[in-house]
Amino acid sequence: MFDTSIKLALTLSQIGAVMGVVLLTVAVLTLLERKVLSWMQDRMGPMEVGPYGVLQPVADGLKLFFKEDIIPAGANKIMFSLAPILVLVPALIGFAVIPFGPNWTIDVMGVEFKPFVISDINIGVLYILAFASIGAYGVILGGWASNSKYSLLGGLRSAAQLISYELNVGLAIVGVLLLAGSLSLVEITEAQAGGFWNWFAFDPLPFPQFIAFVIFLIASVAETNRLPFDLPEAESELVAGFFTEYSGMRFAFFFMAEYANMILVSCMSTVLFFGGWHAPLPFLQAPGPFAWVTGIFWFTAKVYFFLFLFFWIRATLPRLRYDQLMRFGWKVLLPIALGNIVVTSLLAYIFPNG
Amino acid sequence: MKFKKWIQSLIFYEILLGMKETLKHFLKYRPITLEYPHVKKPLPENYRGMLGLLRYDDGTEKCVGCDLCEAACPSRVIRVVSAEVPGEPTKRYSKEYYMDMTRCLFCGLCVKACPVDALGMSQEFEWAVYDKRHLQLNKEQLLAIGDRAFPEREKRLEFQHPNVAYFNVSFKDVPEKEF
Repeated sequence: MFDTSIKLALTLSQIGAVMGVVLLTVAVLTLLERKVLSWMQDRMGPMEVGPYGVLQPVADGLKLFFKEDIIPAGANKIMFSLAPILVLVPALIGFAVIPFGPNWTIDVMGVEFKPFVISDINIGVLYILAFASIGAYGVILGGWASNSKYSLLGGLRSAAQLISYELNVGLAIVGVLLLAGSLSLVEITEAQAGGFWNWFAFDPLPFPQFIAFVIFLIASVAETNRLPFDLPEAESELVAGFFTEYSGMRFAFFFMAEYANMILVSCMSTVLFFGGWHAPLPFLQAPGPFAWVTGIFWFTAKVYFFLFLFFWIRATLPRLRYDQLMRFGWKVLLPIALGNIVVTSLLAYIFPNG
Repeated sequence: MKFKKWIQSLIFYEILLGMKETLKHFLKYRPITLEYPHVKKPLPENYRGMLGLLRYDDGTEKCVGCDLCEAACPSRVIRVVSAEVPGEPTKRYSKEYYMDMTRCLFCGLCVKACPVDALGMSQEFEWAVYDKRHLQLNKEQLLAIGDRAFPEREKRLEFQHPNVAYFNVSFKDVPEKEF
């Protein structure tokens, strides 16, 4: 009984810490995105609230919190309220299997406890993909329940897009799974120990997964509904897509879910292709008991690089047309991903110890 | 050539070029934003802003109530009620002076038309109001705009230089102008 309560307290505090960091990162990202985007476009971005606008997320949050919550006439109230939760919860729940630091097990009063991963389940990748698919339901339901043509069109587009690109995400990951021989994100990271030449994106033998990484990146940009694949919420065509009718906290839920998904996808690409908590060069890793400091540092640095990449792509590329999106997903990415699996498995068979 | 194109499309050459360009702007942070309410753009000297009524340096109004501005105005902004100066039957002044600034198109014809330069165009343009009626200005408001925008006032005509003044009152040693 005592052991169980200790375990519960530890896990709850760990979940609280991770959620706190993730939500804080979401808040930082909303500001960072606007700043990066405006710097790339020779603007200043938010400058009014606080010095250089650093308190803008606080102001935005307060504003959204005190906004009136409108449910449009003719909307399906249950579905309308359920949709934002159905989007946000899967986006946050995926962080349960992400390893943030070295896979250590420490002993707290007789209870085994892993400080840097909430739960190391052996089907981590599958778990994240499954919950990402549930997130699509929220988008579709939100679009349908709003009783608005723009929302419905946004939801339908989103359904088609998520189905086409989830396939590519799944197939791009298969190469990594073949090389690591496991679905657990902790084991996948540990298989990439050493320098950057051991990361799956660059590992020369049996086959570098760089192509798979590019496919994964493109498909995950599409899955998180970011530019240039933001057709579900295309401003110039659909007002705001599936969350046109949402306001106040419900809108904030969709908004937070989008950013949480971005962080999750960045974590995924870090763990799967860029060695997770491992430093790019062996001597950049602190020795012994301080390894967790550099571990968390490198993990955060990599994740923030991918987040910056998201903003960078958004600042550069215009939105694709719908048929271009579908053609690119099915006729370009899918064959390349399949070819990558074939080549990887052949080479992994030829060089079993590569 | 075709091979080169093929390779370029394979490595997203053109997208990478675009990303290089955006990164260049990101690293060289030179915003062209003017933070408007805090920093204002310098206006040209002859900017035609809000209209105001002017005064002479002794504080008397310039306006003689001739109605010429009313006649010149293409959008019928101005309404002048002219009256005699009490006790001086030869002089007139504008008893009431109204401007409906919702209609004004800031052409400056009234300023051109005024024979005594009683009207001036200030550099004010931030006149957004919640109530349209706040833009229907009376004489006091117009004089206040004029005071605010033109702190340097002219002398009365008779005290100006004899080459300008019609009657030489203030320059006794200069001989009177011959017409």
